[in-house]
Amino acid sequence: MRTDGQIKWHILLGGALVLSLMPIVFAISSSFKELSEAYGNVFSLIPQQPTLNNYLQVFSRLPLAQITANTFLIAVAVTIFKTVTGILAAYAFVYFDFRGKNVLYFILISTIFVPFTVTMIPNYLTVSQLGFRNNIIGVIMPQLSDATGIFLIRQAMRTIPRSLIEAARLDKAGHMRILADIVLPLVKPAVVSTSIMFFINSWNEYVWPVLILKDKENYTLPLALQLFISSEGGTDFTVAMAVSVITMIIPLALYIVFQRYIINTFTSSGIKG
Amino acid sequence: MKEIVFENVCKSYGKTKVIENLNLTIRPGERLILLGASGCGKSTTLRLVAGLEEITSGNLYMNGQRVNDVASGERNVSMVFQNYALFPHMTVADNIIYGLKIQKLKKEEIAHRLKAAVDMLELNGLEERKPKDLSGGQRQRVALARAVVKRSDLLLLDEPLSNLDAQLRGHARKELVKIHQTYQQTFIYVTHDQVEAMTVGDRIALMHEGHLQMLDTPYNVYHRPANVFTAKFIGSPSTNIFHAQYADRSMRIGKQAVRLPEFWSARLGQSGCREFYLGIRPEHIRLEKERTDNVFAGTVRYVEEYGNRCGVYFDLEDTEVVAICDKTDLKPGKRVYFGLDADKIHIFDKHTTMNIGYPEVYHEHLYQYQSV
Repeated sequence: MRTDGQIKWHILLGGALVLSLMPIVFAISSSFKELSEAYGNVFSLIPQQPTLNNYLQVFSRLPLAQITANTFLIAVAVTIFKTVTGILAAYAFVYFDFRGKNVLYFILISTIFVPFTVTMIPNYLTVSQLGFRNNIIGVIMPQLSDATGIFLIRQAMRTIPRSLIEAARLDKAGHMRILADIVLPLVKPAVVSTSIMFFINSWNEYVWPVLILKDKENYTLPLALQLFISSEGGTDFTVAMAVSVITMIIPLALYIVFQRYIINTFTSSGIKG
Repeated sequence: MKEIVFENVCKSYGKTKVIENLNLTIRPGERLILLGASGCGKSTTLRLVAGLEEITSGNLYMNGQRVNDVASGERNVSMVFQNYALFPHMTVADNIIYGLKIQKLKKEEIAHRLKAAVDMLELNGLEERKPKDLSGGQRQRVALARAVVKRSDLLLLDEPLSNLDAQLRGHARKELVKIHQTYQQTFIYVTHDQVEAMTVGDRIALMHEGHLQMLDTPYNVYHRPANVFTAKFIGSPSTNIFHAQYADRSMRIGKQAVRLPEFWSARLGQSGCREFYLGIRPEHIRLEKERTDNVFAGTVRYVEEYGNRCGVYFDLEDTEVVAICDKTDLKPGKRVYFGLDADKIHIFDKHTTMNIGYPEVYHEHLYQYQSV
């Protein structure tokens, strides 16, 4: 039953929803407008004379296929590395007993709170020394594991009753087998949503790639977007919006496909702790 | 078939001692019950056998081989967990044959064993269901099926019936005995329920605070309790225990005294003590309304109705005593009298609380217990 208090909250949440959807709707609608119309009629949602010119311009001015491939490659590599190391580390933290386990875990989790700017320079120097500047390997290298992922996957693993693992051990299952047969199927939602989070973070990443990548053909999509909104790129903001829309497509598609798992993980980790 | 021997086994978690100096031999093919209240160390004992816990000190032998450092998978044991530990993402059939697949048995052999287990435990038609679509009783039978398909020498059961309702429990007890008769495995069965212990067990190991109190047949555990703890733990309501003095061939409780037959005197005389604990089971006290010779007297406090029987609580001197009768018209405040049935009393040393033994005339019931 709806009470007055609930209606108040619904209005508030509705307002927040409109505010967060606005920029997306604005980007999509502007990307199909001519520049003159976009300036003349900023807030009209439906373009009067829809055009694909902005998209055609993007394709002619940039090696867009290459840039999308770079972004995808980096995001996939980072996601796979972070997820695999996250699963293995979480398994060890949950099911192995070793000296200093809690201290180690504490240190690991505290790295979540170290700002990117602190590690940025040392990482940059390391990557440079190794000769991976202007190379997507240099972007991937410092992102092979992630404490947030270990934390989230560990939380999920802790909810598996210990007796399940013990039953498998009595059946002669080794650790890799227990992980594959028992643990992974049961923490699948957490693993899927964590890796989507990794993927989207990497997809949107700007500062680190801009430090490492120099040539346009090595660029990622957020860097390409920057080309159109910086002083060099001019004020063609409808073209910039077209790049934004292209940037958005893949993460959005992923989210729609795996929505079920994502909502599941974040709500349950919120409620059950 | 494996004999399992605990030799001075201790288990502690940090400074907490869970099992102290356990010496216990489990015979091949027997149904041994580990009985005790929660926290007595019975589940830990079972998990030591399974290899799920490490032994702190002492030795554990299986079939003559020291297994302290042998991994659980190598011990060839099956286990039924209290919460059944079914894999929620697998079907009933996959759950049952999981261990067989790891052992890389032939497909036909796996199918054959699966069918045998499913038939025996009446799981036909449920093979493709997931555990969440099963009732409690069905889950319990799947857990049993998973344990029996391995055909291991040793089946460990950790309170396997505690999540079932009373009716199912009776049925499941019979099923367990049937499984034992079919496969002749050694059973080690943990429970806190003495009825289960009595009905399923060949022998009962009663534990308390990490110590083995008594190891014997259900008959002897009931009729020949090794110590005061055993006497009080087994049976419901619990055995009445009195502070008693022995002098002049009489057992004295407070100011009242009752003569004992000659053969008890010999037994008590041998012990050289004068102070004892006297134990009498509630069902062995026959209350009389009229005073006769050689009886204790008390005053009724209240009467509990059990349906088929009733319990009469009365004060004897300062001790509250309970007696079980078929039916009674006794009311609170009435005087009641009872004598001692010489073959239904148990006498324990005041200091060690151990049973001092029985007169030779009762030795037809072999009185044996393993002291700890």
